[in-house]
Amino acid sequence: MSTDLNLVPTGGKLTTGTSWRERFGGLGGNARQYGIFAALVVIILLFQAMTGGRLLYPDNVAALVNQNAYVMVLAIGMVMVIIAGHIDLSVGSVVATIGGVVAISIHDWGLSWYAAVALALVLGAAVGAWQGFWIAYVGIPAFIVTLAGMLVFRGLALAIVSQSIPVLDTTFNGIMANSLPNFLGRVGNADVLTLVIGVLLILATIWAQLRARTALRKHNLAVEAVGVFVMKVVLASAGIGVVAWLLSRSTGGSPIALVICAVLVVAYSFVMGRTVFGRHIYAIGGNRQAARLSGVNTRSVDFWIFVNIGVLAGLTGVIVTSRLGTALAAAGDGFELDAIAACFIGGAAVTGGIGRISGAIVGALIMGVLNQGLSIMNVDPAWTKVIKGLVLLLAVAYDLVSKRRAGTQ
Amino acid sequence: MNERGGAPLLSMRQISKRFGAVEALSGVDFEVRAHEVVALVGDNGAGKSTLARMVSGVLQPDAGIIEIEGQQVSISSPSVAHEMRIATVFQDLALADNLDVTANLFLGHELRENGMLQDGRMEQITRDVLAKLASRIPSVRTPLSALSAGQRQSVAIARTLIGDPRLVVLDEPTAALSAVQTAEVLTHIERLRDLGLGVILISHNMTDVRAVSDRIEVLRHGRNNGSFDASRTSFEEILAAITGATHVEPGLRSVG
Ligand SMILES: Nc1ncnc2c1ncn2[C@@H]1O[C@H](COP(=O)(O)OP(=O)(O)O)[C@@H](O)[C@H]1O
Ligand SMILES: [Mg+2]
Repeated sequence: MSTDLNLVPTGGKLTTGTSWRERFGGLGGNARQYGIFAALVVIILLFQAMTGGRLLYPDNVAALVNQNAYVMVLAIGMVMVIIAGHIDLSVGSVVATIGGVVAISIHDWGLSWYAAVALALVLGAAVGAWQGFWIAYVGIPAFIVTLAGMLVFRGLALAIVSQSIPVLDTTFNGIMANSLPNFLGRVGNADVLTLVIGVLLILATIWAQLRARTALRKHNLAVEAVGVFVMKVVLASAGIGVVAWLLSRSTGGSPIALVICAVLVVAYSFVMGRTVFGRHIYAIGGNRQAARLSGVNTRSVDFWIFVNIGVLAGLTGVIVTSRLGTALAAAGDGFELDAIAACFIGGAAVTGGIGRISGAIVGALIMGVLNQGLSIMNVDPAWTKVIKGLVLLLAVAYDLVSKRRAGTQ
Repeated sequence: MNERGGAPLLSMRQISKRFGAVEALSGVDFEVRAHEVVALVGDNGAGKSTLARMVSGVLQPDAGIIEIEGQQVSISSPSVAHEMRIATVFQDLALADNLDVTANLFLGHELRENGMLQDGRMEQITRDVLAKLASRIPSVRTPLSALSAGQRQSVAIARTLIGDPRLVVLDEPTAALSAVQTAEVLTHIERLRDLGLGVILISHNMTDVRAVSDRIEVLRHGRNNGSFDASRTSFEEILAAITGATHVEPGLRSVG
């Protein structure tokens, strides 16, 4: 192999997936990323057809968001863990434990809803710090530490919740049951606030994309062809527009769960794409030794990744308890697997170093749409599991095969 | 450069290090001055990388003294080394395959503003640095996984130009390179010396070593085994010191 290939400098086309715009927007110019979005759209259209249009009934769209908020929140934390080359098997159990404490704090101690939420987040951070300590500073593999955590926290959940604890605080339960207040009223059938948010998001998307393009120009870096760029922006805007339009016609408008997820996606995409912490997560996942030799404090990064997923598991405890209006000892069962599957369907690499927040979210949505579509079609949940398992396998297989092909060019 | 009456840039005295039963270094002396390229040669396992890693802050000596410009220091971590303006190209290329060229150049020392990465500025500097090295990298945003061995080496060497170093450590920088690329690396090393830096060059290749270095230090089984003036020593003399055909007692080091 020649080592001094006279490689042509990049022309009009973007061949790498690493500009901040791509990291930030997650809509960037790499085929894998487009592939996941395309797969989501195809699956939605498929089920839309197979359910006779019921999949995208406005209320079903709102329900889809509420039912899958837990996977999205956990998948955000999980994809960071996976990018860093770790895994977290404990989140489902942590969700149950913290959900239990939250219910007790409201039911028995009379805590207000916001104090209970704060408690959940703090507890989540504490759990994460506990596991992060063993992983980062003692050097026990995350697989083992979180496997132990899975047992420990499931046991604690059983001990404190026993079976179930009701939560009667309507504001707390409203976190998942309610939508943003429709204070702008409705025009025809549509909630105006939801439409306004949709328009603002579209404008923000266009602005961010244009700004990024200008920045690339300023630094003399390659930009996409105008056609590709316009199409990307149009498609993204159309996607936001369709979702906003559908939700505006749902009973509630914009579910609060959606707002939570959207804020998290934007915030964490920013963290992963634009901050030193995010850069270092990718670095230690790509080559831990190199990162350490370069002066990255790998232990500290590892530690905070687990604190972070602990906080998100605490938030998920709130989400799940609020949605059910009760804490269950069995809550969160299998959530870790859903989150991990979402990450891998969304393009995270098993070996670490590669993955995106947006990818994990799309992975979560693909699984959510599968769930919802199959349940509308009255498919036995047993078969739903089989189908989801096969989708995961195919997604990762597709990834490996396409990488191998790319590698042998 | 320094006003300390010519105290060497780096001075290591009586350095020892063991890994379990292996005595990797024992009582090694080593010096580098500004404007000087010092080659560190020796057989496999002689302890060259171990000594280099102490300068880079990756390892700490069990015994011995390290001085920078006459001041005793403890280089306790790679970041401390960076703060002391010591840059290193590690033997096993400390690069992250999943990151692009820019991210690798600045890894561990990212430019930031209000906690945000300044990718634009970092890319600009990267392009300047690569241009200076005349390296053939397709784009500063190419992931490392897409580069050839030679291109990766360019990136590793370009890293040393970030952060205004005064001492550069290169551990086997030409091992994976073609003749043309090796020549480029050697030119770069000479440029570093012309800039007034001290350079430690570890290499197996005697031709390379004699081409650019001012002084050649031989290690054998973790001990000093000769210090030679590169311009006045024959190939055979150095080889003899490396293989142990000539044995140099401490204090009786043959010079010239
Ligand atoms: N981290 C380590 N753990 C144990 N032994 C080591 C370690 N690093 C180096 N050694 C040993 O120390 C000796 C010197 O190694 P090294 O400095 O890498 O030699 P060189 O770079 O000259 O080939 C060798 O015997 C090697 O096996
Ligand atoms: Mg070595």
